[in-house]
Amino acid sequence: MLETIRIITFPSVWHAFRAEKILKAAGIECTMIPVPRELSSSCQGLAAKIAAQALEQALTLLDEQQVQMEKRGVSVSKL
Amino acid sequence: MSTVWVIVAGLAFGLGAVLLVQAGNPGNYGFCAACHLRDIAGALGIHKTPVLQYARPEIMGWVIGAFVLSKTSGEFRPRGGSAPLIRFLLGALMMLGALVFLGCPLRALLRLSGGDLNGITALAGFLAGIGSGIIFLRNGFSLGRARAISGPIAFAGYLPVIFAAALAAAVAAGASFLYFSTKGPGSQHAPVLISLVAGLITGAIAMKTRMCLSGGFRDYFLVKDTSLLKIYGLLFVSATVANMFFGSFKLGFTGQPLAHTMHLWNFLGLYLVGVSATLLGGCPLRQLIMAADGNTDAAICVLGMLAGAGAAHTLNMAASGAGVPINGQLAVAAGIVVTFAIGWMFREKALVEATV
Repeated sequence: MLETIRIITFPSVWHAFRAEKILKAAGIECTMIPVPRELSSSCQGLAAKIAAQALEQALTLLDEQQVQMEKRGVSVSKL
Repeated sequence: MSTVWVIVAGLAFGLGAVLLVQAGNPGNYGFCAACHLRDIAGALGIHKTPVLQYARPEIMGWVIGAFVLSKTSGEFRPRGGSAPLIRFLLGALMMLGALVFLGCPLRALLRLSGGDLNGITALAGFLAGIGSGIIFLRNGFSLGRARAISGPIAFAGYLPVIFAAALAAAVAAGASFLYFSTKGPGSQHAPVLISLVAGLITGAIAMKTRMCLSGGFRDYFLVKDTSLLKIYGLLFVSATVANMFFGSFKLGFTGQPLAHTMHLWNFLGLYLVGVSATLLGGCPLRQLIMAADGNTDAAICVLGMLAGAGAAHTLNMAASGAGVPINGQLAVAAGIVVTFAIGWMFREKALVEATV
């Protein structure tokens, strides 16, 4: 199960919500979560939890819409 | 976050705060990221209020404890460059708001755990402030990305812990260049070693858990995540039980230690803190912890808080048991306007208009 989840992080809440809108409009399941502490010690921004098989499509879409991302789909233990 | 750490953090902060009062700190004053920093500002001569001068070792303990854990766990990372001057200003405003209420959000909760109902008014203001801050976040507010600092200038990341260690040594030695209150709240404190150890333990825990009250409410409002709030829930319950055990629980608005009952200003004081903390990405406690783990922007914010404490007391803006002076009322009102202006101005411009 863990291997099938990827995390995308964003530099600000605004980019995160834009990403959520874009992904949901494209029918890609994603869940918004606080940035896992393993990934960033900064307290700004949100992260999107997304299925691994949808990652490539999601990144392409988000790049097209110029959504800024920090971590582009990492797997996190203990989630 | 594991349940174990939620319990450890909630109990350490909740019980630790009450025990520090038992050991000599003023009432409901075991931990406070704002008031303790204000006392440190007094000890350094940044303000000259004679009863509020003591370099509280709890704060130095937070910084050193958080630094040691971040260094040993490999999480220490010198970084910065995200709108430092704006962070300085927001830090100063955050301190101003806290000193008009007489406490940071953590102390608001601790005051409530001692039966001080003014904590409710203040926390309501804090929540409203976070709500307002979130509106700016949703509309694209950002102070820009911090960058990793490498090479010789990465040394800057160590300055907070060096300063904290030097100050801890100085207060332990009773150094003559520091001011020490001989009466009033500044003269009341737990023994230095106890304060320092309490700070070291809770600082490391705060680093480990990333605990932050503004962040906790923000995460709840934005994505219904409650992991940070659980810590504060347990903190509140454990501190309340401990206060009842020691007989330091006294329910009411009046006659509370280091408090006033001007409800509007208790509300607006922490409202200002809530907006500032949400724009900054962390409450006063969290700024101190981030400063320790290499975030030079957070360190600048802490400097802003020290400056804000100096200004608040020098220009007669800070509250006291007697209430909030007119200068403080005007300053909080102006401060709220300034945070709104910052929230509005620092929006990321969309590179392209979102098509959805």
